[in-house]
Amino acid sequence: MSLAKTRLQEERKLWRKDHPFGFFAKPEKSADGSLDLTNWRAGIPGRKDTIWEEGIYPITINFPNDYPSKPPKVKFPENFYHPNVYPSGTVCLSILNEEQDWRPAITIKDIVLGVQELLSDPNPDSPAQEPAWKAFAKDKELYTRKVKEQAKRYQNYNA
Amino acid sequence: MAKDTYLKKVLGEERFNHIKASKVLMVGAGGIGCELIKNLMLTGFGEIHIVDLDTITLSNLNRQFLFRQKDINKSKAMILVKAVEKFNYFDCKLIPHHGNIMNTELFPISWWSSFDYIYNALDNVEARTYVNSIALFLKKPLMESGTTGFQGQVLPIYPYQSECFDCIPKDTPTTYPVCTIRSTPSKPVHCITWAKEFLFMQLFDEVQILSPEKLAEQRKILESETTDKKEIDNLMNETNELNDLRKLTSSTIEEFMDNLVNKIFVKDIEKLIRIDSLWKYRKQPVPLDYATYNSELSSMVKSTSSDVLHNETKVWSILENLYVLYQASKSLIDRIQSGEKFISFDKDDDDTLNFVVSASNLRSSIFGIDVMSKFDIKQIAGNIIPAIATTNAIISGFSDLQSLNYFKSYELSNQDANTVFVSMKPNRFVARATLASPNPQCASCSLSSRGIMSLSSLDGTLQELIDNIKEFYKYEDISLILGKNKLIYDFDFEDNVDRSLNSLGFKSGETLLVQDDNDELENLELYIIIGEEFKLPELTLRAKKVFKEETDAEDDEPIEEGVVDDIIEVEPPIKKQKV
Repeated sequence: MSLAKTRLQEERKLWRKDHPFGFFAKPEKSADGSLDLTNWRAGIPGRKDTIWEEGIYPITINFPNDYPSKPPKVKFPENFYHPNVYPSGTVCLSILNEEQDWRPAITIKDIVLGVQELLSDPNPDSPAQEPAWKAFAKDKELYTRKVKEQAKRYQNYNA
Repeated sequence: MAKDTYLKKVLGEERFNHIKASKVLMVGAGGIGCELIKNLMLTGFGEIHIVDLDTITLSNLNRQFLFRQKDINKSKAMILVKAVEKFNYFDCKLIPHHGNIMNTELFPISWWSSFDYIYNALDNVEARTYVNSIALFLKKPLMESGTTGFQGQVLPIYPYQSECFDCIPKDTPTTYPVCTIRSTPSKPVHCITWAKEFLFMQLFDEVQILSPEKLAEQRKILESETTDKKEIDNLMNETNELNDLRKLTSSTIEEFMDNLVNKIFVKDIEKLIRIDSLWKYRKQPVPLDYATYNSELSSMVKSTSSDVLHNETKVWSILENLYVLYQASKSLIDRIQSGEKFISFDKDDDDTLNFVVSASNLRSSIFGIDVMSKFDIKQIAGNIIPAIATTNAIISGFSDLQSLNYFKSYELSNQDANTVFVSMKPNRFVARATLASPNPQCASCSLSSRGIMSLSSLDGTLQELIDNIKEFYKYEDISLILGKNKLIYDFDFEDNVDRSLNSLGFKSGETLLVQDDNDELENLELYIIIGEEFKLPELTLRAKKVFKEETDAEDDEPIEEGVVDDIIEVEPPIKKQKV
């Protein structure tokens, strides 16, 4: 735990010094007025010139006790429309997977950029929900319409 | 001849007297504790405190030899002391404590500081980490010990002089990505995890059930997104399906069983198969052909003579697994219907175990994964590490012996002690290694200093404390983290500066982590006590160490310290093995 909290405060400092344009990421405020370093909220802007561009998409980043040995868990809101997002909102991404590409050196910046990339560049080989996966594979028109509708709903999300 | 004549000769008069005058703590009165206590008593320690929060259970009795059947449900620490009084030849003062070692009210830092030496005889990482942190705060020597099956180790810890418990990276229990568990299992453990943590939990355990209002709210969100009614229904169904199954726990077993098997082992699998890209490189699962087993299953259920349930080491057939699933479900829904609000998985609750064993086996067979016996699945589902009495006894012996070195001179810098490993490798049953220096990247002992901060009251403001800390240690800008994860102040977060320490959660036994926002000085971890006056520990903080990002650290450096440098060979080896 000692390592987790030290590292998370370092992450907060790193983010303050340097973070990609249009993103935000910060620990959630608890009822007692402190910030909970193990629970972050972040906003991911859709990439320019993609069907995702109009939205800023909310995610929560949850850090386990044995972070950074273990990766954090990243979640969109429930029923978020994307082929690699489970109905519960959990994101299926290799850098967040302990058995695949997670390394302790991966920073919060790497994570949010990875999620942004996943939005406009889904991985058809790891489907996590039926509706978005099906539309992405078989009905691009429907997929595009749904993504754009969703983007509108997340237009005004901010810190 | 006095009873201690030989002891004096073996230990030497001076060391014998030191040991006699020492007060030591043994944390844990289980497998290792039962062995270790007799060693410590017969070594002549003057006073031993024993702490354990557990009570004795039947499964302890095969190796925790100080406990008897009549002691079941009684406090381990209390019974242990009673049991050893019979051979208390050297009039050792034995003090048992029944409680959690991490409880700072029961065991405040002043209590800890009264001991000369701490022996860990624990079975979990959390408590070990905690005792290690206390040893670091107080600079107390600590003997760490542990066994798994035929392997065991003792590690003497001299705070800041040798490796501490946190210096060594731990293999944390593996967690499995949700994708593997839900869609593409490839090992028995994936199916066991699915059965235990997903299926069983959703059906029987306490989970958040969405209220009708919440469901209506969700529907509204969906309706704002699309006008396709069929799709809304489909999405809503996904949320509802397991809720529906859970409702069936109030119907008959036949109805429950048919619905369960048809959904989980037939329809859900068919759905997965339709996602064809999943099966490009993987073997496709085959849905259970439930109909073919139906008549055999019902006749098996009717004949009461089946003894499948009692054969725990046999690998059950599909039919037998279905039968066990039926019987387990029957008991579980009976229990729900007779008033149990929810049931949690417990390896010792046979209904829950049988349910998980049969459900995971059926899923395994669908995915072409090996089916296992109940005995084997119990080990995995219950996270059971086999405990072997002999290993515990050997390790406890070394725990005692390696600590004797400290009582020669009471010097923390004296590191003649060894870490000792026991394993079943041929000709290397026991190996020892000199102690390694602290890991330079260890967040607990190398990257921070520790000390005790005494507060005279909790009425002062956070700002006052910040000013005091900055001035005392010459920090320019700091951040403060209280306890496990509460950030209460940093450069960018000054909301709390005018609040009282009390309202922020400061209390005796809590820890405060101070980090330098300018990255010049190292971290400082303060253990909070309430005392007569305000006092910060006198420490000279070292410069903060900066490490370059590791690239491929594994192969970069040869391991220098901690190499096994001596082998005690139990049998003369035929061929000398290279170390």
